[in-house]
Amino acid sequence: MSQNPSAQFVRRRMREYFTAYLYLTPSGLVFLVFTLLPALFVLYISLFNWNFLNESLSRWVGLGNYRDLVTSGQFWHSLLITAYFLIGTVPVGVILALVIAMFLMDQVPGRALVRLAVFAPYVTPVVATSIIWLWIFNPEYGLLNALLHLLHLPELGWLQSPHWALIGIIIFTLWHSLGFSVIIFLAGLSGISTELREASRIDGATRLQELRHVVWPLLSPITLFVLVISTIGALQAFTQFYTMTAGGPLASTTTTSYLLYTLAFIFYNTGHAAALAVILFLIIGGLTLVQMGVSRRRTFYQ
Amino acid sequence: MAPTTRQEDSGSPSPPTLKTPGRGARRVRRAFQVVVAAVLLVLFLFPFYWVVITSLNHTNQVLQFPPSFLPHWVFQNYARAWSEAPWLRYFLNTIFIALVTTLLVLVTSILAGFAFGSLRFPGKNLIFAGFLSIMMVPYVVLIIPDYIVLKDLHWLNTYWAQIFPFAGSVFGIFLLRQFFLSLPLELWEAAQIDGASRFRFLRQVALPSARPALVTIGIYTFLGTWNSFLWPFIMTSSPSVQPIEVGLSTFLGTNGTDWTGLSAAVVFTTLPVMVLFLLLQREFMAGASAATGGVKG
Repeated sequence: MSQNPSAQFVRRRMREYFTAYLYLTPSGLVFLVFTLLPALFVLYISLFNWNFLNESLSRWVGLGNYRDLVTSGQFWHSLLITAYFLIGTVPVGVILALVIAMFLMDQVPGRALVRLAVFAPYVTPVVATSIIWLWIFNPEYGLLNALLHLLHLPELGWLQSPHWALIGIIIFTLWHSLGFSVIIFLAGLSGISTELREASRIDGATRLQELRHVVWPLLSPITLFVLVISTIGALQAFTQFYTMTAGGPLASTTTTSYLLYTLAFIFYNTGHAAALAVILFLIIGGLTLVQMGVSRRRTFYQ
Repeated sequence: MAPTTRQEDSGSPSPPTLKTPGRGARRVRRAFQVVVAAVLLVLFLFPFYWVVITSLNHTNQVLQFPPSFLPHWVFQNYARAWSEAPWLRYFLNTIFIALVTTLLVLVTSILAGFAFGSLRFPGKNLIFAGFLSIMMVPYVVLIIPDYIVLKDLHWLNTYWAQIFPFAGSVFGIFLLRQFFLSLPLELWEAAQIDGASRFRFLRQVALPSARPALVTIGIYTFLGTWNSFLWPFIMTSSPSVQPIEVGLSTFLGTNGTDWTGLSAAVVFTTLPVMVLFLLLQREFMAGASAATGGVKG
């Protein structure tokens, strides 16, 4: 009756394989049905003049949707708005977050409280907090214009002005998401050996020199991570644009993501929206690859 | 991933500075720090203070110039706002969706994380790379095809449309895989001698020590679900299944000029998240810095 040991070994191995595949099935199914296949599906849709109400009436147009997009002013305008939004939130956000994190690394009075305050907006919902800022930006009764009035400065239309609306949204976005980058930088900074910073100070380095020659190079992988994460986040930002300006006034806040929403769910222009989604996918996917490549280098480097 | 928790704790290195600046310089420096800290506190907390103040004043007090910076304890705004939308329903929907999603994410992440971290099987690296590539597909891109998939499943305007697409988490799997990889092999060998199955080992030995990672995954999934807007906004249409943030946005559309009522609604819809954050602030911040661990590769 006794089995030979190698047969028993093989059986145990097979059981291990079976267990592993079984354990991978639940998440695998979710990813397959709701991410992987839809990602291919959107590529497929983008090649059709897609009929939203009756899919069987969809007509093959090849790259027609893409051609329509790149020849339309709307598309390029949305890219321009997205670029402004990126510039206003990403580099500015990274610099502000780094400065705040460096400040918090010192023995600052009330350090824990400040850290908590900076992080608090990030965990609160965008719909709720954007309503607060909608009220602060209100041109007639808002706090900001009251402040400008007290300072004898001209009052502004803020979210109702084509010139200021995007700036208002950028201010809100910085306020809302800076805390995340600050926490990441704090974790990165505490990873830099304090001896190294001490040594540079003993050698007579000023704070600025310390930042430039010690902190900045050692922190660069973290900085890149924050840059990529916030760029991806900014490219997908939607909620604050919906609640604060709905893309207006005069399309001055219609980013590419917002255009995608209007094409797909206001005009039911599914084919063009899908082509736009594929373009966004390429941009964001490329950025993610860059980030993964860099993080691999980082482990090597440590 | 547990070390990140500790890393966060060591965030305040206070080595004795050898090059001590003069006393006067130190005092100036201290004063400067106090001012900057105060400015940061005001910048980040004032909007919260302002919405509470607005919600506790009469409409005419809110619309006057200069505005009132103190509360007048007017609670009618709350009663009015509460009565004008099915908030209780929105709350219950949100809690149900967030709890079920969190539970599912924990289960699927534990299973897959354990498989990748502790089991041997053919094609492991390839499948893991496939899972990681899921992270590259952005949310906005999936809205259109998933809408069509959910429509074909007849799941539009249901709870399931808001739960199942989020029932797997690459971040969660990655975090737990790292944890299981760090488990010493002897533990499993000892359990085998005691005749434990893999499942019992997972449940009784591995999981209890994975607590920090599970807490991070749990609170961020819960928070993400609670705060989500675009997905339920597109995939649902009736208040009977909609979550709180979609409800708030509907309320903004219908009561957009009632600033005191709107402020009250912002306060009572945000309060649960705020309380959760204040209770678990340490875990929240540790979790955010654990996100960097997600790209260490």
